[in-house]
Amino acid sequence: MPKVTFDGVSVAVAVDHLPEPKMLLQDVSLELTEARVGVIGANGSGKSTLLRLVNGLVQPSEGHVAVDGQDTVRAVRSVRRAVGFVFTDPLSQLVMPTGREDVELSLRRTARNGAERRRLADAALDRFGLLPLADQSIYELSGGERQLLALAAVLAVDPAVLVLDEPSTLLDLRNRELLRRTLTGLDQQIIMSTHDLDLVLGMDRVLVIDQGAVVFDGQAATAVAFYRELCLAGLETPGPGPR
Amino acid sequence: MKDHGFLLATYAPGTSLVHRTPLAVKFLLVFACGVASFVVADWRWSAVALAALAALFLLSGAGFRRLWRAVRALVPVLLVIGLFQGWQLGAPTAARIVLNILVCVVAASILTVSTPVQRLLDGVVAAVRPLQRFGADPERFALTIGIMLRSIPYIAGTFADVRDSAKARGLERNPRALVLPVFISSVAYARRTGEALAARGLGDAED
Repeated sequence: MPKVTFDGVSVAVAVDHLPEPKMLLQDVSLELTEARVGVIGANGSGKSTLLRLVNGLVQPSEGHVAVDGQDTVRAVRSVRRAVGFVFTDPLSQLVMPTGREDVELSLRRTARNGAERRRLADAALDRFGLLPLADQSIYELSGGERQLLALAAVLAVDPAVLVLDEPSTLLDLRNRELLRRTLTGLDQQIIMSTHDLDLVLGMDRVLVIDQGAVVFDGQAATAVAFYRELCLAGLETPGPGPR
Repeated sequence: MKDHGFLLATYAPGTSLVHRTPLAVKFLLVFACGVASFVVADWRWSAVALAALAALFLLSGAGFRRLWRAVRALVPVLLVIGLFQGWQLGAPTAARIVLNILVCVVAASILTVSTPVQRLLDGVVAAVRPLQRFGADPERFALTIGIMLRSIPYIAGTFADVRDSAKARGLERNPRALVLPVFISSVAYARRTGEALAARGLGDAED
């Protein structure tokens, strides 16, 4: 498995009305070598920032992130070849009118010949059962089909690491299950953030993020229990409102 | 997003004469129509050109419905332009301007309806390749065309959504309630697209 390393990483952003930069992530040091790594935390806790650091979409303000020893700032191009990224909303990610064209776009750098590109794109679509939908507009696909298509487009270039930022958030129960089964069968190292705690339970290692810090790092079931306690602490049952 | 009225017809697979025509010829047709729209002074020539191009479009086998979908979104805009130009410069000039815009749209639709996007992009790459010695990256040119083709229906769809939201709130006559959200959504879309391309390593300079 590839090794993703965070070495004293902090991310800060300037906010107009605040005198000090806002810390999105604070002094994170990790070494991720497991095949399946889950990241959970409340909205705005820093999960997406952590994931975006892995393929250089966000650069650290302090510290270094490396994928198999390659720095995500200095070697960003080769890091992006090694790290595929799947966004929450597949429509943000699919940039061509149809599925086949989008997968072919992914392959433009690696397969110069049009016929070869078509063959590889069809093979990538077929792997996810999407070949019959290859020429359909991406708007005519269901949410689950779009998410699988986004996954197919990313995996077509065979990255070593697959990063998924809340990929199941917009999916219904059936499509979530379909996504879960698909991810289970992949060879890539997977680093995934999610609010779906059932999905996390199958992971080898789970990180809990709170206010920009890793507050738990360990086995999935314990991490989920810790996260539930963290989230629900101090939450009172709302009573009836004023009449 | 519910509606994606596309300003240019999407590819319709086929083996018609139009499909088999070399890409360069179709590119030249679009280019010639663009240039002619500045040169032609008589609306009747524009009408003849439009009829000929519509016939060519139908010859591709893509059908009248696809042709109508390609120009449908433009109709309200053309009506406004036609009425304004008719009032300012007279009916013949208004007719010429409106017809010339339609000529350009139908010519571009002939290209897009009969050419798969990837072949179109390969054509752009081949056309730009001679400029490589001056530092141009053909793949970036192709990517730009691809993004443009994808963005037009997205923005059209955003406009339809915003119009419905404004209607639901009784604000359909408020131009700010229509224009501002479309503008903000388009900028957000551009940022997301840029981020998605970066994540996929697309648009980077050639190695």
